[in-house]
Amino acid sequence: MVELLAQTGLNALYAASYTALVAVGLVLIFGVMGVINFAHGELFMLGAYAIVAVYADWNLPYLVAVAVGMAFVGIVGLGMERAFFRPLRDNPLGGLVASIGFLMILQALASMGFGVRMEHVPPVTQDVIVISEKVRLPVFRLAVILAAVVLLASLWAFLTKTRFGWALRASAQDPEAAALQGISINQTARIAMFIGAALAGVAGALTAPLISVNPHMGHSVIVTAFIVIIVGGIGSLEGAVIVAVAYAFVHTFVTTFFDGVIADIVGLLLMLVVLIVKPTGLFGSTDRA
Amino acid sequence: MVAKMFKNVLTRRRLLGSGAAVAGSAAAAAILPKSAFAADKVVKIGFLAPLTGPVAAWGKPGLDGCLIWGEWINAAGGINIGGEAHAVEFVAYDNEYDPAKARTGATKLIREDGVKFIMMLGGDTWPGAQPVADRTGMLFSTLLPSDLSPDTTTLIAPCEVHPIYNVTGVEWLADNMPELKTAVMCAQDDALGLPSVATYLAAFEAAGIEMQDDPLLFDPATTDFAPVVTRLISGNPDIVCLDTCYADYVHPICEQLFQQGYGGQVISCTADFYQQIVAKTSEEFMEGFVFQFPDFDDPALNDESINFQMPNEFYAEYASRYGADQWGAVSWEYASIMDLWKAGAEKAGSAEPDAVLAAMKEGGSGLHAFGEADWWGKDLFGIDNALVGNWPIVVIEGGKATIKEFRSIPEWYAKHGELLKKHMSAYGQMWDQRT
Repeated sequence: MVELLAQTGLNALYAASYTALVAVGLVLIFGVMGVINFAHGELFMLGAYAIVAVYADWNLPYLVAVAVGMAFVGIVGLGMERAFFRPLRDNPLGGLVASIGFLMILQALASMGFGVRMEHVPPVTQDVIVISEKVRLPVFRLAVILAAVVLLASLWAFLTKTRFGWALRASAQDPEAAALQGISINQTARIAMFIGAALAGVAGALTAPLISVNPHMGHSVIVTAFIVIIVGGIGSLEGAVIVAVAYAFVHTFVTTFFDGVIADIVGLLLMLVVLIVKPTGLFGSTDRA
Repeated sequence: MVAKMFKNVLTRRRLLGSGAAVAGSAAAAAILPKSAFAADKVVKIGFLAPLTGPVAAWGKPGLDGCLIWGEWINAAGGINIGGEAHAVEFVAYDNEYDPAKARTGATKLIREDGVKFIMMLGGDTWPGAQPVADRTGMLFSTLLPSDLSPDTTTLIAPCEVHPIYNVTGVEWLADNMPELKTAVMCAQDDALGLPSVATYLAAFEAAGIEMQDDPLLFDPATTDFAPVVTRLISGNPDIVCLDTCYADYVHPICEQLFQQGYGGQVISCTADFYQQIVAKTSEEFMEGFVFQFPDFDDPALNDESINFQMPNEFYAEYASRYGADQWGAVSWEYASIMDLWKAGAEKAGSAEPDAVLAAMKEGGSGLHAFGEADWWGKDLFGIDNALVGNWPIVVIEGGKATIKEFRSIPEWYAKHGELLKKHMSAYGQMWDQRT
């Protein structure tokens, strides 16, 4: 039983790592721009396809492919900000509807470019750290966990130690007051969109060798991310990280000890309970609720 | 992406494939009986299956196979209906494995395209199309006989008897590896997964193999299978059964089994694109993997009892067009249904659904791809609309799928039918329990 608990804990850590990356990106975009980006799961999908193209098809090194995927999806995010979200800034539902439309465009482009079948991504490494007979941690999964920790720590440092980061936080807290202080709303929106999209892209790129890459893969990721940010409090980065870890542990343990369908139900019930008890989410403020 | 789109339009493989297609058509034209058909004599066949989305692996390869079949038939003179040669044309509609889209597609294919027969994957999409079938009397086929019921007499399952054939794989395992005593199973919680769970449970019980745990059901939206696999192998089972998991699940589950150090026997309904699983795990890990769908370059398919036309040539043509690693469970199945439909239409002298259906079922038997078979199923589905006979047991050996044996499904059912009905009832999968 101890070994089963340990292995399940390792599985949960991996699930928490990529869930947190996706959820934090989604929260950042909402926090600064006030837009619920329904296409965020498809940005995750684009990151995975970057690995298919650069690593699997062109045979470039995996880390190069991850960097390309991260930058590419970040640039797509910049394009979304300029083409959709900025012109619709004063329309509360406009950005949401535009992101749903863009979601479908991205799925169609992926289908046209790569076909509808799942893509094969060769394993980066098959090495496994054998802790005991029943407790094993594949090296690649460990790498994904470490990469997520480094990226989230870097984001935290960026937001708390740099002028751009302060500007982002100021815009998130009160856009009008930030603008009066000379902070460019367009500039902070661009930065938030680039970082938020890049985080989704890098999550897709990091996990691509471990999951089925197909044009519809973003769906399940975005559902989980929405549960996380609603429970964590929409707009709260700390809430997104903490709840991503908590949700991943609950979901993984329930899947292992009961089954995956019950785990989904438990996740949704948790969201329901939090919404009833604290409608702003565990770490949310009333300003953004 | 632009480069890849261009690559998708014209690649060296496609260029070579086009040459192979011409050569294949010429070969087929030389081998098959030839007759001329007027340009306006065309019989349209509907292809209503998932061509995109997670279940596309059980739709799109089938359409690809049908296109080869159609080219070969047309090159050989078409289908002789009532003394006149007709070209065959496939009209495809992507139902995305969505019942509402299946209903829209069925209506469109009948009303706008004038098709005479509609082939479906079935499963979750059949309830969408069923009202259209009942209203129009159109002849439909499904790969999943668990869709059959007496409510719709024009739905047939003439090729795949999913999930009943899975019993042959378990029976073969029990006969050849009697040391395997315990099993676990996982499945997605849907219309494909649940009847297959019931079938495997019956097969394991009949074989005297003990289930260590209840089948582990997972949400079809699952992407990370590490927790599922951790649970599955926690009790050191001799056999891990992957039920009828989609290819998108079989691959990551196998990878997880490999990474979490499982060294026992794996059995699955399908192993589509298994070369990719071998690449993600190892040849040693996949050695002995049992499933139910052969590559059609297998020499065992050249036996005279096999009714599929030129299986090795068909596989070669498919591989040259789309790649051998794109061959899947359904690549040949819809084409084999077309063999039966063609024979029925020629026998009836008509393409009308009721006439073709009567001709196909005349005498109570038919020429299934894997040998002569009987129209069967009243006991289980309430109607004898499934063509059931032998089915192959396929084992991966040296990284290649190999047919080990053909076994009779009706013979198994004659011995263990009550067990199957018991488990089907427990999972609400008998025809009179389905809504």
